[in-house]
Amino acid sequence: MNVIALILLGSVVVVPAVALWSLHWASRTGEFRLLNRAALLPFDDEEPVGQATDQILNRGGDRR
Amino acid sequence: MSSTNTLKALMPGDVQSDPARRAMLAEIDASCRVPVLFFVVSGLMWLLLGTLLALVASIKLHNPEFLAAWEWLTFGRVRPAHLNTVIYGFASQTGIGVTLWLMCRLCRVPFPAPGLTTVAALFWNLGLTIGVVGILVGDSTAIEWLELPRYSTPILFFSYALVAVWSVITFRLRRERHLYVSQWYLLAALLWFPWLYATAQIMLLIEPVRGVVQASVNWWFAHNVLGLWFTPIGLGAIYYFIPKVVGRPIHSYYLSVLGFWSLALFYNWNGLHHLIGGPMPAWMITVSVVASVMMLIPVITVAINHHFTMVGHFGKLRHSPTLRFIVFGAMAYTLTSLQGVANSLRSYSEIVHFTHHTVAHAHLGVYGFFTMVMFGSLYYIVPRITQREWPSLALISVHFWGCALGLILYVVPLSYGGILQGLGMNDASIPFLKVVEGTLPWLRIRTGAGLLLALGHVAFVVNLGWLLCRVFGPYRKPVVELFTETGTAAVTAK
Amino acid sequence: MNYGPLLFLGILFTLASSWVGLVLMPNRQLGALTANTSTNDTGVVVVYPQPRHGEAQQGAEHYRSLGCVYCHSQQVRPEGFGSDIERGWGRRRTVSRDYLYDKPVMLGTSRTGPDLTNIGERQSSHDWHYSHLYNPQITSKGSVMPPYPFLFEKRRVPASGPSSDALKLSGEFAVEDGWEVVPRPQARQLVEYLRSLKTTVDLPEAPLPKAAAVEE
Repeated sequence: MNVIALILLGSVVVVPAVALWSLHWASRTGEFRLLNRAALLPFDDEEPVGQATDQILNRGGDRR
Repeated sequence: MSSTNTLKALMPGDVQSDPARRAMLAEIDASCRVPVLFFVVSGLMWLLLGTLLALVASIKLHNPEFLAAWEWLTFGRVRPAHLNTVIYGFASQTGIGVTLWLMCRLCRVPFPAPGLTTVAALFWNLGLTIGVVGILVGDSTAIEWLELPRYSTPILFFSYALVAVWSVITFRLRRERHLYVSQWYLLAALLWFPWLYATAQIMLLIEPVRGVVQASVNWWFAHNVLGLWFTPIGLGAIYYFIPKVVGRPIHSYYLSVLGFWSLALFYNWNGLHHLIGGPMPAWMITVSVVASVMMLIPVITVAINHHFTMVGHFGKLRHSPTLRFIVFGAMAYTLTSLQGVANSLRSYSEIVHFTHHTVAHAHLGVYGFFTMVMFGSLYYIVPRITQREWPSLALISVHFWGCALGLILYVVPLSYGGILQGLGMNDASIPFLKVVEGTLPWLRIRTGAGLLLALGHVAFVVNLGWLLCRVFGPYRKPVVELFTETGTAAVTAK
Repeated sequence: MNYGPLLFLGILFTLASSWVGLVLMPNRQLGALTANTSTNDTGVVVVYPQPRHGEAQQGAEHYRSLGCVYCHSQQVRPEGFGSDIERGWGRRRTVSRDYLYDKPVMLGTSRTGPDLTNIGERQSSHDWHYSHLYNPQITSKGSVMPPYPFLFEKRRVPASGPSSDALKLSGEFAVEDGWEVVPRPQARQLVEYLRSLKTTVDLPEAPLPKAAAVEE
């Protein structure tokens, strides 16, 4: 049981430390800075922001 | 012709501007055509079989004499056969197909191994066929979500490994440095599933652990198949398709980061809430209950993100089948997750555990959320990889309304009936058979709901089959120009 | 969030946490559990639980194969949580040790039918079980349990007279004159298994209630 207690106590220290370090690393290397640019990734010149796609159900009667 | 012009007006003015990029896009779509179609079509065949098994099982629950003479069609075999065909046959295969396509699109790279992956898909279907026949002839393991007999699962695992390795390689080859939120979810699903499946296979079937540890491994696995396999694929697809169809970036990219990591942290601890009141040490169940409540964080985050992106664009639901299915799925995700949090609370679980309420909840999740999102994704993907359009708009409507109304008719009455059943069971003065009698109306309604769902599925499969027939026919210039002639030419020339 | 390796590590570490917590730790805590040895009132040493053997064990395989677990649980929830004990499904809650030798453990998650943890104590009669399996309506009118006719053989009454294990069927369930219904081996094994299901032994972590213990 002592081994488990030790592991648990150790992880209480180690896990937050790793988390803090990776947060620090991430903000230092700009992982967060470009965040909103990634939101534009589904779009490209062909299908830019502001253009709806897949609007096929309003073709009405004249299919051909 | 007028509506065609309306559509043309929606296209950007400089549509001819960059033939090279357009060719690239068409090439990416074409590169994954064969494996994606193979996964999707075989997935839908399993869906039809799974629907049939579901109907048989459902009728048996209120008409026990129905098909009772045959051992292989007894309820205890048809039910697991249904679960495994829809989970591993339909949902997993369709999910893999959608994952492959999304991965290629977002990485901006053609799929590197279409042939090998198609072979893998062939093996997946082979392994599953052996497994489902195994269940029906009596080799089911009776471990929920893992009923496929031991002799069939290595084939599935081998096949999965091939697909996952090539998906991860696609990710490594990406030409776009930035990662979109969908890619985190898809990558996570691809890596989580083999770990879950291998652990469960080894600790439950190959070298079974002792006593109730089996139950904890079982529910750690079963809940995570939902939470760490289907949910990330479904959410990844929603994160892509809502912005793509309405033409607007996701409401808050910051929230999506929070949503992803909180899901990764909490969801995988949820499983043991299926054992509340069971013969396990209390700490295990408590940990899972706490984690289940913590799920409020990713669920609310994702809900805000999805639903707020839609604000002001609900009109587009009328015109886009993709959006209809996906938004229905996103709403079902919010509902089923909140219901899941409630179900995991001890006081509520005391009532609804062991009842049909849980069955309704599972269908709201796997069907209302995941399956509907997959249907929506297919409405977008299939025309783009085949360069053919959906032949019948009426069938699309039948599909949507059959499934949407069918699901509501399934979930709402059965959830309510399940609560009544639980309250009845917890009152020892009511004889058990009286409680059983009380569930019958709800079970009959469920069979009706199943028929509606079946109607939707048939409509979809007919429409898809019709579309695929046209793939072999001559190429016709589509009404909606998904591709220019240059793009198409670039692909055929390759 | 563009750095692949970081994402990869995050994905692995999150799942590793619950893998340790919900898979390894339970195995460490419960995997070494052993049977309990105690002396009962009459001074006999009782070792509980015992692995199943013979027909009962074969019956467990039929229970698995026929998917009984999808409608019947095998767990008794503690007093004050649900009404399992009031319904007579067990005199005490079940605990980890009760399932020591079960492979697979079939706790069940559904009670479309009643809990079977103690069905062997509640119904010890072979006849009841055979009739119930042949057609549940005979013993439990209104049940939604399917009949299992394929576990029985309908045959001509032998010249030597009706078989001793032939089912006593009457009314709407009766078969034609000169015919009888007898259990196949699967039915016999399944019933042996069902009759073996009981948790009537005291455990230190789950003692039987005093009144019941005295009655024993």
